[in-house]
Amino acid sequence: MNAFTIEKKNIHFLFDQFRKDYKIYGPTKPGYESTFEEITSIDQLHLDYHSTVLPPKKIFHPPHEQLFTFLKEKETYTTKEIFLEEKTLLFGIHPCDVHALLKLDKFFSGEFTDIYYLKRRKNTCIVALNCVEPSKYSFCYSLGTGPFLEEGYDILLTDIGTEYLIEIGSDEGKKLLEKTTVEKVTDADFHEKERRQKLTELKFKKHMNTQWLPQIVSESLNHSVWSDLGERGGIAGSHACLSCGSCSLVCPTCYCYDVYDTVDITLQKGIRARELDSCQLLEYAEVAMHGNFRSDRTARIRHWMLCKFGAAAGGHNSGCVGCGRCIRVCPSKIDITQVARILRGE
Amino acid sequence: MKNEYMAYPAVVKKILKESSNTNTYTLAFVNEEKQKNFKALPGQFMMIGIFGIGEAALSICKIDEDGSFSTTVRNVGNVTNTIYQLKEGDKLNMRGPYGTGWPLEELKGKDILIVAGGIGLPPLRGIIDLVQKNRKNYGHLEIIYGARTPEDMVFKYEFGAWRQIKNSRFDLTVDTVSLGSKWECKIGLVTSCFPQMKTRNKNSIALLCGPEIMMRFAAKCLETIGFKDNQIYVSLERRMKCGFGKCGHCQIGPKYVCKDGPVFSYDEIRPYIHPL
Repeated sequence: MNAFTIEKKNIHFLFDQFRKDYKIYGPTKPGYESTFEEITSIDQLHLDYHSTVLPPKKIFHPPHEQLFTFLKEKETYTTKEIFLEEKTLLFGIHPCDVHALLKLDKFFSGEFTDIYYLKRRKNTCIVALNCVEPSKYSFCYSLGTGPFLEEGYDILLTDIGTEYLIEIGSDEGKKLLEKTTVEKVTDADFHEKERRQKLTELKFKKHMNTQWLPQIVSESLNHSVWSDLGERGGIAGSHACLSCGSCSLVCPTCYCYDVYDTVDITLQKGIRARELDSCQLLEYAEVAMHGNFRSDRTARIRHWMLCKFGAAAGGHNSGCVGCGRCIRVCPSKIDITQVARILRGE
Repeated sequence: MKNEYMAYPAVVKKILKESSNTNTYTLAFVNEEKQKNFKALPGQFMMIGIFGIGEAALSICKIDEDGSFSTTVRNVGNVTNTIYQLKEGDKLNMRGPYGTGWPLEELKGKDILIVAGGIGLPPLRGIIDLVQKNRKNYGHLEIIYGARTPEDMVFKYEFGAWRQIKNSRFDLTVDTVSLGSKWECKIGLVTSCFPQMKTRNKNSIALLCGPEIMMRFAAKCLETIGFKDNQIYVSLERRMKCGFGKCGHCQIGPKYVCKDGPVFSYDEIRPYIHPL
C-alpha cells in the first residue's frame, strides 16, 4: 500500500512521529510573511501558505556556512572540517522548491562534489505538500515544476478537503509511516486529487513559454531589453535594475557563493567560511588591478537572466523553477516572465 | 566523498625574482604521497592560499622532473601580497591542479604562435619548455611577448635559450622604456609585431594569454591573415573562489573558466568574451 489519508485535525500524529527521529523544518507564519523555520510544536506549523520569503535552500546551502577551522602550530597548519550531521525533515515543502532541490542536487554532484551540501541532503527527508493555492507571482505550471509533484519526495501530501492524501515516494517514507495511525485510501480520494490539480492549474496568473528559451536568450546578447533593464529605466511595468541582489537571495536555484577566512585575535587560528553571493553585485566579477568583468548593470542583469533561463554555466541546474519569489521581492518590479516575453518578441 | 575545499600544506622550495613586483615560486606538497601523485599539464592552475588571508587561482608555469612546479606571482592583491612576503622554506596551502590546459595533442606537428602580454607569459611557458624538449614533434615556433616596460618582463633569464631554439622566432615589445635603460627591440603593442610575423594560417595554432583586450585585438589581427577561430586558443582570467565549477564567479556565458577552461578555443568563447 503506497497511499493513505489522514484527517487534517490529526496531522499532529505525523508530526509527532517525525519528531522522534528528525529535526523538522516547515513553513511557519510568525508575522505577515511565511518562512521555513525549525518547528518544535504543531501550533507553529502553517501549511496553508503561498510561498516563503526565503526558499528552503537556506537549510542545505545556508546564507553563511563554516567549512573548516585551521590552527597554526609550529609553523604548520592543522585543519578540521565542520560537518553538521543531523537528520532533518522538511515538512510541507512545495513542488517548485522540491524541484529546485533536485536541480541543486545535480549541480552539487558530478565530477567535483560539494561534500557540505550533499551530506546535508543525504540526511534529509522530504515531506512535500502539493500546492493548491499558488501565489499570484508563481508560474511553476509553465515550467513543469508544479503545482503538483511527481518525483523527489519521500512522502507527498495533498489537501483534499478535510483530509490530506498521503503518497509514499521512498522506502524511508514508508518506514516513517509504519507507526502512525493513517486511514485507508479510496478511489474517490484520488479523483479528488486529480480534480484539485486541474483546478489549481487554472489559477495561475503568470506564464512563461520556455520553448527554445535557452537558445533564444543566448542568441540575444545584444537585445535592447538588457540595456533597458540595466540602464534605461526598465521594461514595461518595471524600473531599472538596482543591482541589489535580492533576486539571487530569494531564488531557490541561485547557488553562487563567496569563500573567505576569518581569523581569531591570536592570529593562530581561524575559520574558512562561505557566504551566498550574487552576480548582481558589483564585486562579484572583480579581479586584481581594478579589473571587473561585469562592471555595468546591463551585463549583470543579463547574466542573471541567462542563468535563470538555463543558458549560463549552471545550465538547466540553476534554471528557474517558477516560484515567483524574485518577482515578489524586486524593488524595481522586474518580472522574469515579462523579460522572457520581450525576448520572444511576444 | 572527498572534501574538495580542503587545501593541503606546501613548502616554498625556491624563489626567483622576476621584476620589482613579481617572483617565481617553486612549490611542492609537504605530504610525500600527495607530491608523488601530483600531475599537472601546461596551462592548468592551482588554488594557492594562506589560511587567514584566502586563496587565489595561480597558473602553473613550469613543471619539474621531481613533480614540484613553479608559479609566477605578481603582487597585486591580498593573497599575492602575502605570498610575496614569503621566504624560501615557508609554508602555504594549495589544492589542484584545476582546469583543462593547452590543447597538447592539437599542437603536434603544427606551427605554434605564442602571443603573451605581461603576466600572461607564465601560463604559456610550459608550451615553450615542451617544444624546446621535443623539438622535432612541432613545426615553427614563434613567440611574441609584450610588457609595459623592459623591467616588467618575466623569465628574462630564459630569453637567451629561447632564441637558440631551432626553427623559431622570438619577438619582444614594450609600451614604454624609461630614460637610460637599454632596449633593442620594439616599442608598441603586441600587435605591432604582427607585420614581421613568420607564422601563417596554414597548419598552425595560435596560443594567446594576456589582458583580455590584448587577446581580442590579437585574435582580430590573426583573423585578417586567415586564422580560423578554432586555430586560436586563449587562456582567460576570472575571479575564482572554488576552482571546480561551484562558486559561480568565473562564469563566462555558458562556461566556467575554472572547469571548462581556463584555456578555450576562441570559437567557443568568442560571443561572450566582450559582452559578458
